[in-house]
Amino acid sequence: MGDLSEFEAELIRALTRLGRRTRFAEVLAQSVEGELVRLDRRSTSVRKSPRLKGAVLRAWNGGRWVEAAMSALDAEAVGRTTEALETSLWNTTAVSEPPGVSSSFRGEWTTLPPHPMRDVPPEELISLGRDVLSWGMAVPAIHDVRVEIAWNDEERFYLNTAGARCHQLLSRVREAVAPVAMENGRLESDVEGEGGMGGRERLALLTQEKVTEAAQNTVKLLRASPPPTGEMAVLLDPRCTGVFAHESFGHGTEADQFVRDRSYLKPILGKVVAPEFVTIVDSGAYPGEWGSMYFDDEGYPAQRTALVDRGRFVGALHDRVTAAAYHVRPTGNARRSDFLSRLFVRMTNTYVEPGDWSLDELVREARDGVLLEHPTMGIEDPQGGQMQIKLRRGRRIQHGELGDVVSSMALSGKVLDFLRSIRGVSRRSDFMMDPGSCGKGLTDLLPAGSGGSYLLATAVVGPA
Amino acid sequence: MTQRASSADTAFEVADRLRLAEPWEVFAERSRRYEIHLNGGTVEMVRGPIELEGFALRVFRFRDGNVGIGFQASTDLSDEGVRLAASDSESLATFSQFPAKTLELPGPVPSGSQGVEVCDAQLWDQPMQRLEEYVHALLASFDGKRDVVPSFGSVRATLAETTLGNSAGLRVAYPHTSIEREFAVKALEGPEGSPPGEYWVNDICRRLDAAGLPAQVEEWCAYARDARRAALAPTGELPVLLPPSTLVEILPPVIGSRWTGVARLREMSPPLGEKWGWEELSVTDDGRVPWGVGSSPVDDEGSPRRRTELLSRGEVTELLYDVPHAGAFDTQSTGNAARGVALFNRDWRRFLTAPVLSSSTLIVSPGKGGTDAELIESVGDGLWVQQLGAAFPNPYSGAFGGELRMGYRIRHGKLAEPVRGGTVGGFVAAPPGRSSLLSDVVGIGSTPSLVEGVHTPTLLIRSLTVAGR
Repeated sequence: MGDLSEFEAELIRALTRLGRRTRFAEVLAQSVEGELVRLDRRSTSVRKSPRLKGAVLRAWNGGRWVEAAMSALDAEAVGRTTEALETSLWNTTAVSEPPGVSSSFRGEWTTLPPHPMRDVPPEELISLGRDVLSWGMAVPAIHDVRVEIAWNDEERFYLNTAGARCHQLLSRVREAVAPVAMENGRLESDVEGEGGMGGRERLALLTQEKVTEAAQNTVKLLRASPPPTGEMAVLLDPRCTGVFAHESFGHGTEADQFVRDRSYLKPILGKVVAPEFVTIVDSGAYPGEWGSMYFDDEGYPAQRTALVDRGRFVGALHDRVTAAAYHVRPTGNARRSDFLSRLFVRMTNTYVEPGDWSLDELVREARDGVLLEHPTMGIEDPQGGQMQIKLRRGRRIQHGELGDVVSSMALSGKVLDFLRSIRGVSRRSDFMMDPGSCGKGLTDLLPAGSGGSYLLATAVVGPA
Repeated sequence: MTQRASSADTAFEVADRLRLAEPWEVFAERSRRYEIHLNGGTVEMVRGPIELEGFALRVFRFRDGNVGIGFQASTDLSDEGVRLAASDSESLATFSQFPAKTLELPGPVPSGSQGVEVCDAQLWDQPMQRLEEYVHALLASFDGKRDVVPSFGSVRATLAETTLGNSAGLRVAYPHTSIEREFAVKALEGPEGSPPGEYWVNDICRRLDAAGLPAQVEEWCAYARDARRAALAPTGELPVLLPPSTLVEILPPVIGSRWTGVARLREMSPPLGEKWGWEELSVTDDGRVPWGVGSSPVDDEGSPRRRTELLSRGEVTELLYDVPHAGAFDTQSTGNAARGVALFNRDWRRFLTAPVLSSSTLIVSPGKGGTDAELIESVGDGLWVQQLGAAFPNPYSGAFGGELRMGYRIRHGKLAEPVRGGTVGGFVAAPPGRSSLLSDVVGIGSTPSLVEGVHTPTLLIRSLTVAGR
């Protein structure tokens, strides 16, 4: 375990002070260590994570939450920040109880990778990166290859005035290979990436076979046709299915949007929204994935939460405030991107459960349409029920067979129409989780996994 | 608003404790942040002060015709903290490799150098009070409106004192403010059966301007009302008008990466002298635009900000450089090193990231197209794209586009019915002979406005692919 518990006495002192002025206060301390190795044809860089540690104090002032944060944990900094928060607590006459139930969980959890990345010297990662670079550059028309290998060990230490004490150390690692192809002035790029909890053993993407395949697929984009345009059958690859799960029933079921009366899903909780074979889940307890954790930033344990169960919309993601509003238990989804950022209801790992179709069967079922591959980003519209997914590439589906590669495009549509149009989901053998970075709005980015297998539906696509 | 001097000396204090043989640079910031979060028309959470002070050290180690750049950021300002950061930077410099034989670190800033307006003095002096007043004015702008209400939002203000020092004798300090606004308005009434319509605003600016709020709120409310009755976009190739609110998502990611020394080093930059744009299109980068979010007296390596002409009447004229890339090509930095440049926004914790090459404010020279109304009239039949879900251009291929969040059909030279949903896309930039947004501009408005990283009038594009019903 890391060293944040060294500051426990100081943090308890702050909570004790605040406890005299409020019915509830909590503190979350955080520190991160890590490294990023980045190479391309012309340069190599090795970066360590910033030497950054700090804490955020949150208290209920009788009417609303007030917060203050500091980037030092010595007595002077903690005292000054506590005093600033005390001032906020004085400036109120409200006397209501804090919403929801305060966590009283206690525990210590640590990721124990078989091969911790902190034990891997930078020289070894650079050498691996150079191998990857040379494998990619060996493919004709590849102009450059950008390689990234990154890891971080993140420590979070949570205490509150209700007696909770949760201490966790999470080890995450990710790798990405981005070949760039060039021909006659035309540039195309693609990205292959993987990541999750663990250590050196997770760098599975970085093999000659996979890197060569990624580079060859990028070269194919140079001769790709423009994508088809309009409404059609769309077959989502496993990554794209994950982004769909995240953007559709992920953001839309973050229950703070319900409390704000800002989710088109709120009125249809309990209703059938998709065919019976569709199940969508968020799980911070999914073993070893990018968005996994042991407890959230209100001290609640991570858990599996079914959002859509066999076609029926059954659940939402909660922090203590929204859980109180809906008379349910918090689901372990209260997250801060770091100690400097506020807490929101957030996803962890969001995915569509596998179905029982094969890929070939789905392609035949689609008959004419497009296979959507390699999503680059998605964005939701919780109020209007729209979603957008951008993709780097795809393949035509014609007469029930996969055809030519098509260039980058975007999918757009209403989530509920899309869900109703789902015709099939492929088997567990196709299932994969993808590491992503999720924002609330355009800020507060944090690690979130998304996953699924192949999924066939109908939507509008066009070049993008 | 008045200019304000900085009293911070974080970087200088760190610099005085360094004992390094190689060239070095210290960038430091002392920041205070205040936030008010809204749920509907009520305050949900107040945050602040959120205090952050720290520094980033870069050490440059030359060997074999290359330079190794070691970077380490830290909030530990103790002697031991500075020693550890220096040790990390030296160590990391031995692993890193960049093809520059020499680097010209900027020296002392000449006395009498002019500042640039980037600090809201009133906000600086009373941050929480000003923020509360601003939020009050924002909510008051909805008084009397029965059909449109605030949905949610936040206003987050950062007050930062930047200090920079290096081994070439640079010592510079300046304060600056930035405000991030996220705000959504929701229209409740309208055609029977329609869900509420929402318009979502997300922007960054340098100062709080409560006086401008009533007009802005009126505009947002109109978009929210129109969102309720909007239809899916049509499918086809259409003339498209892109206002500054859309261009800010499209131009900087591509021009700010392809028109740079980074792209040149990888043989991906447009060759100087080639025609990549319409003959009446000129684009300049300017890091000294008053109140520009990318403006400052010096860039994040300490080089003076300046104007750099990137495209002159369609022809590629200059590229942007920071110190390392200038060193790789034996040229001068154009003052375009920036820290905290994130995927979708600017990270206020700037010292935590190493500088990258980035455009500051891209200025598109006004044209002869007149007002937006005159441009619309000149189109006849087409599409006005007010807001995209996310344009998210690919800086390599130049492809951009995304879901149409808010737009209007143009019919008979006037804005007609609102459209929402479907996609709009194309390429931002492409070599001569290939169609792109820059080459397919056929009209440039005469009334530019500053929106975050662009100062541009509305552009009329000959045609873009629209996918919808």
